[in-house]
Amino acid sequence: MSTAPKLQVVYVAGLATVQDLGRRGYRALGVPVSGALDRLSAAYANALVGNRTGYAVLEVFGSVRLRLTVDAVVAVTGGYPRVVVEGVEVAPWTPIYCRAGSEVSVVPTGRGFVHYVAISGGILCEEVMGSASTYVRGGFGCLGRALKPGDELGARPVSADEVWDRVRRVKPPEEVVARSADPGDPAVLRVTEGIHSHLLGDLSTLLTSEYTVTPESDRMGYRLDGPPLVAASKLGRLPSTPTDRGYVQVPPDGKPIVLMADAQTTGGYAVALHVVQPDTDILAQLRPGRRVRFKLVSLDEAEGATSRYLAELENPTLKVVEEEYWT
Amino acid sequence: MSSDIRVVGSGGYVVHVDICEDLTMECVGRAHRLYYAILRELSGIVDEVVLGTTSLAVYYDPRRIRASDLIPSIRRVWSWAREVELGELHRPRRFTIPVLYGGEHGPDLGSVARWAGLSEEEVVRIHSSRVYTCITLGFTPGFIYLGEVDPRIAAPRLETPRVRIPRGSVGIAGKMTGVYGLESPGGWRLIGRTPLTMFDPRRSPPIPIAPGDEVVFKPVSPEEFSRLSGVFVGEYSS
Repeated sequence: MSTAPKLQVVYVAGLATVQDLGRRGYRALGVPVSGALDRLSAAYANALVGNRTGYAVLEVFGSVRLRLTVDAVVAVTGGYPRVVVEGVEVAPWTPIYCRAGSEVSVVPTGRGFVHYVAISGGILCEEVMGSASTYVRGGFGCLGRALKPGDELGARPVSADEVWDRVRRVKPPEEVVARSADPGDPAVLRVTEGIHSHLLGDLSTLLTSEYTVTPESDRMGYRLDGPPLVAASKLGRLPSTPTDRGYVQVPPDGKPIVLMADAQTTGGYAVALHVVQPDTDILAQLRPGRRVRFKLVSLDEAEGATSRYLAELENPTLKVVEEEYWT
Repeated sequence: MSSDIRVVGSGGYVVHVDICEDLTMECVGRAHRLYYAILRELSGIVDEVVLGTTSLAVYYDPRRIRASDLIPSIRRVWSWAREVELGELHRPRRFTIPVLYGGEHGPDLGSVARWAGLSEEEVVRIHSSRVYTCITLGFTPGFIYLGEVDPRIAAPRLETPRVRIPRGSVGIAGKMTGVYGLESPGGWRLIGRTPLTMFDPRRSPPIPIAPGDEVVFKPVSPEEFSRLSGVFVGEYSS
């Protein structure tokens, strides 16, 4: 088959990288898992265009414009961005048939923070340690850096018939699309106690206060502002422990940091809480200024929520759209 | 110090084990025995095992096993792993890492010497005359934590971390010394730099050094530093 590029990056304002569901099995070497910040959105983007959920997609903070060099099905998920194909506004969270030469723009709205673009066949880019996820700090995975105008990406070939077959009348469940819909209320993140809760003692400050996402947040961690956990300043530095996405680290200033997709594999700050994995996706969609609360759940509940989430990542449930809603 | 371990579930997919409270090489040895024993006995059940310096994390899929079953399994493994020699679980290899000490590559060699009340030459001699144990790898890809540093040169980490440290930099932070596998931020006192490529994401494995392995540092001249530039750590022989 031809190795011609399928996707050309025309314009980027913000940060665009290639991500999949993460790089597993190398944490013991210090390699972060990386992958999509909102994994459920990435999995649904792939499912909507008929791909396996672990295929590589584009992750976009900000705006991007892409040109397709083949006929393809495209889906945009994440928050609820404005999507324009050849000058026509189309809905996100829907498979879109695009002719070769089409330009697709994704522009943020007030809903959500990070968006995903999947193309039928999935983006083909260099995999290292079994994943195409770009770890910009390490300079590896796909191009090893953020995308810029002029970059060209390949995709697995899909025949013209197959492309047509993939334009299906399907949509994700409402609750998946609506996970971060209401900017007015604080998002509620379910947590278990973290691995150092026994050293920190009373965690009620964290569990009863509201926190605001700060602009210093990035793929490595979302930093929160709000009432400090004073006990953390007395602990200082601890022996380095393994750390992961969802760990709520509290440095000596007492302000929590929720580690995210590019989390370092070990760290020396106290870990007060642990956000359950599906709720790290919800946090990912909160832009600076949005507010969160933590809600303590039992380990049993966390295991149940994680189990359902992992199953959904592997096999997202798509619903058939009623005829009347289909135009 | 209690001889028992603390084993707790976290987040619904991690079991965290504290082996002891203080960073001693005796504790590190216990952590290594449990780490390799879990890899040997439970690798079919769990996803990944990651070592801290005095702790470890076992990542699991809650659809396959729950913490309530995994925690007793880990305790059962520990009940025999605490008694065995590490050599029965992992045969340590020895790696030599050439280092150009001081100058632009070791901007904190002077401050370590002042802290120690020794000359820079003595700091280099003391640092390069020990066989270190790899405690673990982490925070960034290929960073190796090594111990234990001679107490005479065990200067504390910097008050303010650097934003950018070149890959290959060799640092000291209290009892530990380490090598930065890739460029990263960091707060260790930098005393030199190795010309070797410590971490290559396209190789399998990207770094051959494992917890429990031995590392020795060998001072080299600027000429040798240039000559060895980019040689992979797994392919260097002194």
